[in-house]
Amino acid sequence: MTRDISLRVQRFDPSKDRKPADKEYRVPWRQGMTVLDALLYARDYQDHSIALRFSCRQASCGSCAMKVNGRARLACYTQVDELGSDSIVVRPMDNFEIVKDLVTDLGSFFEKHKQVTPHLVRADDSEQDNPTGEYVMKPEALEEILQFTYCIKCGICTSSCPTVATDAKFPGPQALAQAYRYLADERDEGGDLRVSALDDVHGVWRCHFAGTCSALCPKGVDPAMGIQLLRRHVLAGKGPRGPGEGAKEFARSGTGTGSEST
Amino acid sequence: MGQQESKAEKNRRGVAGWLNPIHLNVERWGYVFQRVTGLAILAYVIGHLGDTSFFVGGPFGTGPSQSSWTGISAIVENSFGHLILVLLVLVLVFHGTNGVRLVLAELGLIIGRPSAIEYPYRPKSLGRLQKYLFWAAVVFALLGALWTGMILFG
Amino acid sequence: MRESRLMVIQYATALIAVVLVSFHLLMQGVLVSYSTAISYQQILSIYGNALYAGFLEVLLIVVLVHGFNGVRIILHELRQAVAWAKWVDVGTVAAIVLSVAYGTRTIVLAVFGVQS
Repeated sequence: MTRDISLRVQRFDPSKDRKPADKEYRVPWRQGMTVLDALLYARDYQDHSIALRFSCRQASCGSCAMKVNGRARLACYTQVDELGSDSIVVRPMDNFEIVKDLVTDLGSFFEKHKQVTPHLVRADDSEQDNPTGEYVMKPEALEEILQFTYCIKCGICTSSCPTVATDAKFPGPQALAQAYRYLADERDEGGDLRVSALDDVHGVWRCHFAGTCSALCPKGVDPAMGIQLLRRHVLAGKGPRGPGEGAKEFARSGTGTGSEST
Repeated sequence: MGQQESKAEKNRRGVAGWLNPIHLNVERWGYVFQRVTGLAILAYVIGHLGDTSFFVGGPFGTGPSQSSWTGISAIVENSFGHLILVLLVLVLVFHGTNGVRLVLAELGLIIGRPSAIEYPYRPKSLGRLQKYLFWAAVVFALLGALWTGMILFG
Repeated sequence: MRESRLMVIQYATALIAVVLVSFHLLMQGVLVSYSTAISYQQILSIYGNALYAGFLEVLLIVVLVHGFNGVRIILHELRQAVAWAKWVDVGTVAAIVLSVAYGTRTIVLAVFGVQS
């Protein structure tokens, strides 16, 4: 049985248009069609000028994040049939500047991520410059941070956050969850600096546990959990471990069989 | 890049972005109601400071005054005033109970622990315990309002 | 003051307010009948009890600190200009001080004022 989907896409070209407007495309449905499939059909056969980002088509890259029927989702990961309607409205993600049509400017999003120092910090820099082996990390310690490492930086959480809607200085759920990811990483020794940077009027305290970030995250990261767990450390005013207390290096012996350095 | 940035449409949702929870999770509705009820309660409290001051004669009074108290009671003690009180109890009980849920959640006590996750992903922080507390807040608020209505209008 | 300290105050006033406001509501129609609770004589006798007058003062401070700090948070999220941020903080302190002062005046006059 064939039927047509009504695909309404927000069109806006800042170089030509005064304000955004929706344009409708009729797309023939097929079994297993995703919203991305529908958009690419409209672009390929009806209107080559539709601007959208996509890449992997398998929810790994995060490029195709957009608002579909009122909620931010990955277009490649959203089946048309799961929307429960043959009328689909696609808009660019909220709270990011629109470059054109469905393409948003994620520059500020990546800047906020960088501001939480998203890499391991050790008290002794020479360890990272001249490593002698890997760091020891038990499986239980990995489980503490694993889900937060699944973030693909699609922007859905930050776009959907109610605080981000008004507060331009708020880091957003993605950056805060990554701040927790590194704070909780037993290899990291930069906790004190991380928490002091977040103890700000626009820092971690502007999260109010609306939970939409976790509800919409396509990778199960659960940023809301990371942020609430982060608060305790910010409240305490210090990280979970100080300089020299992070996981030690696993120094390799000459024979290739490793031995623990401590 | 700079030219493109200056022409890009600013897409920040503003107050509508936090006030509108349509299509979103129940905790988001809790967030909106917590804000709105908080503002409503504060507005009431400021008014309450005003009307209770008439017990001592108003802004320019010098001490307890029966005539002043009778005067303000005549203005607020009526069906409309009692309806305001019923709504006040509704928002107060919701705000307080949901507030306890938020304090517990924000201190990391009812949101679960990180773990290895499998598809389909169900965020632990949005788990049953904190959802039950939200619905408890709604139920207690309705019951409190009902009880108040029975006291004031019964 | 660090934001974490202000949030500790917000959490503490929240939990204290739940207890105090609950008691205040119960006194206005459950433990005491509503018509008695709002009568002039009943209120006069309540203010004669130093413990209850003290309870009302603590309730006043806790609720107003919590409420105005909440508004401060909403206003800081609304705009981030430096001047706005400064006046929001100043305004919050002023609002708390003025409203607590006015409420305290009512309590003090009710306890010590000249009856007319």
